[in-house]
Amino acid sequence: MVGRDPRPRWLQVGRAWLYPRGRRLGGWAFILNRLSGLVLTAYLLLHLTLLSTLAWSPAAYDWFIELMSSRLVLLFDLALAAVLIYHGLNGIRLTLVGLGVGVTRHKEIFWAAMLVGLLLLGYGGYRLWGGM
Amino acid sequence: MGMDEGMGGTGPGRYARTDWGWLLQAATGLGLVVLGTVHLITQHFTARKLLDYAEVTAWLRQPWVLVVEILFLGTVVAHAVLGVRSILLDLGPSPAAEQRVTRLTLIAGVALVVYGVGLTALVVMR
Repeated sequence: MVGRDPRPRWLQVGRAWLYPRGRRLGGWAFILNRLSGLVLTAYLLLHLTLLSTLAWSPAAYDWFIELMSSRLVLLFDLALAAVLIYHGLNGIRLTLVGLGVGVTRHKEIFWAAMLVGLLLLGYGGYRLWGGM
Repeated sequence: MGMDEGMGGTGPGRYARTDWGWLLQAATGLGLVVLGTVHLITQHFTARKLLDYAEVTAWLRQPWVLVVEILFLGTVVAHAVLGVRSILLDLGPSPAAEQRVTRLTLIAGVALVVYGVGLTALVVMR
């Protein structure tokens, strides 16, 4: 348990986040959930900043949209969609587990969620890349 | 439940003083599943391309769109700042530092919502 460790709390937390030995599925899922949350928070700030082009001028916003439609940005969008889908589906799993639902079957729920996530990502990729 | 334990979950019992944070995080997360899906479908899946300035301003001027987008903004910002707060609280701050973290994340959240609503209002009223 983290609380009985004599080392500073920040060091215990760092170790709990990053130390790979003996870590089980739920531990990895938790770390990935936090990291994906940080990535999405950074993206939210970037998104809100870039949307300020709406306030500059129509030309500035249209330039921004043209930039966002490039193949390279679409690749970034696909990676972002993967992060978003993971965070959303694992977040639902964590909420269920936190509320005491499906606690004994949390691994099966995780893998089922990941399967749904892959299907969603496949559909999103198709819409982003080929279906538009 | 610790972060390195089997299920990798947090829960309402994790921090006695911050149960409201976990519940709000879960509630906004579930809200985002709904609002985020509506946002993605209306903004990115029904249109055949990204909306240009004229299209996005006309779209934002519809009352229901405005309500959904502002709700979405408030929910996503609340979820994000609560998540950052939760990570910072994992570092084990003192009760005074915990209060500062809560205050700072609240200020950041309010500032982001005010910025987003202001930007939307500017575009809609232009």
